[in-house]
Amino acid sequence: MKKARINPQITTYVDRLLQGKTLLPESPENLIEVVGVLASYGIVLDAYSKNLIFIADQQFLVLFPIFKYFNGEINPSKILRYFWHDRINYEYAEYCMRTMLWHGGGGLDTYLDSDVFLTRCRAAIAAKVRGNLLMRSLNRLFPDFLPEQVRQLAYYSALGQFWRIMSDMFNDLADKYDQGKIQSIGQVVEHIKAGLVADAATPITYAVNIDGQRYELIPDSAGLTFLPDTAIPYVETIFFRGTPFFGTVSYNAQAQQISPDQSRFDYGALYADPIPIGGAGIPPTMLMQDMRHYVPDYLHQLYQQTPRGEADIRVQLCQSFQKSMFCVTNAALNGLLPFPKETDNPEEQTANRKFLSEWVERLMDSRLDVVQIV
Amino acid sequence: MLSALLWIPLLGALIIALWPSPLSSTRVRVGALVTLAITLGWTLYLVGQFDVHNPEFQFSEYWPWLQSLGLSYRLGLDGLSLPLVCVNSGLGLVAVYSSADTVHRPRLYYSLLLIISSAVAGAFLAQNLLLFFLFYELELIPLYLLIAIWGGAQRGYAATKFLIYTALSGVLILSAFLGLVWLSGAASFDYSSTLAQGLPLAQQVLLLGALLVGFGIKVPLFPFHTWLPDAHVEASTPVSVLLAGVLLKLGTYGLVRFCLGLFPTAWLALAPWLAGWAVVSVLYGSLAAIAQTDMKKMVAYSSVGHMGYILLACAAASPLSVIGTVFQMVSHGLISALMFLLVGVVYKKTGTRDLTILRGLLSPERGLPLIGSLMVLGAMASAGIPGMVGFISEFFVFRGSFVVFAPQTLLCMIGSGLTAVYFLLLVNRAFFGRLTITAEPPEPPIDPMLPEVSWRDRVPALALVALIIAFGLQPGWLTRWIEASSFQFVEPPQITAVAPPALLTDPPTPPRR
Repeated sequence: MKKARINPQITTYVDRLLQGKTLLPESPENLIEVVGVLASYGIVLDAYSKNLIFIADQQFLVLFPIFKYFNGEINPSKILRYFWHDRINYEYAEYCMRTMLWHGGGGLDTYLDSDVFLTRCRAAIAAKVRGNLLMRSLNRLFPDFLPEQVRQLAYYSALGQFWRIMSDMFNDLADKYDQGKIQSIGQVVEHIKAGLVADAATPITYAVNIDGQRYELIPDSAGLTFLPDTAIPYVETIFFRGTPFFGTVSYNAQAQQISPDQSRFDYGALYADPIPIGGAGIPPTMLMQDMRHYVPDYLHQLYQQTPRGEADIRVQLCQSFQKSMFCVTNAALNGLLPFPKETDNPEEQTANRKFLSEWVERLMDSRLDVVQIV
Repeated sequence: MLSALLWIPLLGALIIALWPSPLSSTRVRVGALVTLAITLGWTLYLVGQFDVHNPEFQFSEYWPWLQSLGLSYRLGLDGLSLPLVCVNSGLGLVAVYSSADTVHRPRLYYSLLLIISSAVAGAFLAQNLLLFFLFYELELIPLYLLIAIWGGAQRGYAATKFLIYTALSGVLILSAFLGLVWLSGAASFDYSSTLAQGLPLAQQVLLLGALLVGFGIKVPLFPFHTWLPDAHVEASTPVSVLLAGVLLKLGTYGLVRFCLGLFPTAWLALAPWLAGWAVVSVLYGSLAAIAQTDMKKMVAYSSVGHMGYILLACAAASPLSVIGTVFQMVSHGLISALMFLLVGVVYKKTGTRDLTILRGLLSPERGLPLIGSLMVLGAMASAGIPGMVGFISEFFVFRGSFVVFAPQTLLCMIGSGLTAVYFLLLVNRAFFGRLTITAEPPEPPIDPMLPEVSWRDRVPALALVALIIAFGLQPGWLTRWIEASSFQFVEPPQITAVAPPALLTDPPTPPRR
């Protein structure tokens, strides 16, 4: 049988990764872009994380959560600022959460479909609907509706906890850069990898208080942890798969423009086109809009040197963000390598190469080739 | 009073050209701007003083210049020339404003622009046939130089072609004027609508034919149009603005003032043929525009099509259609100037006007979103979308012509539909999709970045858009100046046949039964 030929570009990238080099080329501009954008992303993630956890904890089965973005602080000036749209676009966080819920994957997804969860979930629902005729009727008429809402709230909490860790990691990265401890893309990747590994076993749990009683929906005993149950599904969902809707391009499902196989979707952050084409309410644009408020001075200076200055800052932020996400992907791949990359064992080397080849092959249609242009 | 419209820009041109010490390009530009701003101010003052109920020439000036030749310096302003004088003053200012700071040989460049403004104003105001001819010819050389010196790669060819065509146009017009005066035995070349009354129809038709070809070249109408796309493509943006917005109007003005005005009987005899000519011109211009891949050529061919509407309305010679001719002149002046300004910005920022290359210019942040939006608006105005001046002018033209030449009007209306076709093709090709400015998509797909558009590039276009919408919503602001004078060009029997009562100064009382 004839062996399938491997794309030489894949081999090049795999070799590069095995040699300890990075997917994103080393350059002073790339370093400023990546660290600068992650610094602002860290601040935004902090806000997203707090809000997701607030919604999961405090807006539990609130059918009309009109003040869910207020984090419990409701006053006229905040309402006015909200309508003036002087606020963080928390919708983006929800968009990511729903995308994760839709694609599933990881231990969280499996756990939420288990009977153990359903039992815990029904107990919490029973407590919540007690004394509420509307909710009780709703639950009787549509018994799957409220459990599905709780599953979604579990994702709110899980993503909030994931981003809490990532936010701290990026803020720490920015601090180290300011102290002169980060001077290359390789060090950025290493910092992220170290963070992922350090927090790999951090438990992901979720509990709510109803009438003074604590209901553990994802207990410690479920064994869900940061890396396999939130980080990997997040990378798969947000970086790779994404969604063919909510984007700037209209896809025609009838014309077979969308793969019927969800696992083959490639609409994620690593594939996104930063050039907007006039769509409205685009989630990535919302993220860039949020990040632009927290761009550090050194990144501002870099953007100001471009022909359009900062008039196209959201596009530039998107480009920088994409570069940074390749660094995060790079760190995740390094962290997930089945064997140490320095191994001399040929079988382990082959296993490493196979692991990386499969991932890099998926990156062949991404913007990896574009970010190579320094 | 009217002389000021000629002499202010001419004086400005002389001062700029003869200033003893060296002047920077910016200073010369400011000088030209001030000159034309004063001219525009004076024009608006005249508008304020103009009696809309008086159909005759107003603010008349007379000076017997060369009586032996029958040449007199006789100027006058009526409802036909007033809007065109305003357009000339306004677009002259726009042309100077949108000229680059770094233009080389600025003193010559701005002097020529000012001379054109002066000459065109003179042509619109002249009430002596020879004086009109002098002004008509006076704008020829500056425009030739503007194309030949500051034009594109093929500027020599385009400028020479323009010169030959327009010179031939001048010869034909002069021949017709000479023939008219000699055959009629008039003592001077002073304009009078009764000049040709005593001539046999054959002589009238012959003289009118010469004028029609002469002005047909200037308008331009098919098949005399071939100089226009070349001239536009090679001319710089400000010159294209003047050419499309003002200079072509000399041809259409000539059709109304001298062809219809001097030879009403012969005109009536030829009218069905002229309406047919209009149809051919409209359809040819529109279909040719569809086939273009150069944005500027597309807009140029659209001019050929839209000028055909004026011939149709002129041929119908009903009260409404004559108002339509003037309205269409103003409308086309504003819309085509806007389109050329926008195409100019696209060219300046991308380095190309090729519709096979440009994509996604509406892209926010990196593209030209405001320019693209204005282009969509210009396309809508040109296609006659209600709420804009293009709709009103086409409505006047078609409504006024339909009762006289129904089949020809219907065929011309197809041209209006075709306008939407070619401008939507332009907008769809160049402005929608992902931002790209290369023929072949680059591999890997780089993210293009266009230079930012300054407010200086946007302001003239926004001003034109404001006028396009204002006259579209309030056409009465324009028709009130035209109405009284336009009836001078209409045969009495046709007035009652086609004019809606609202447009007559004294509506007839309906008979009691």
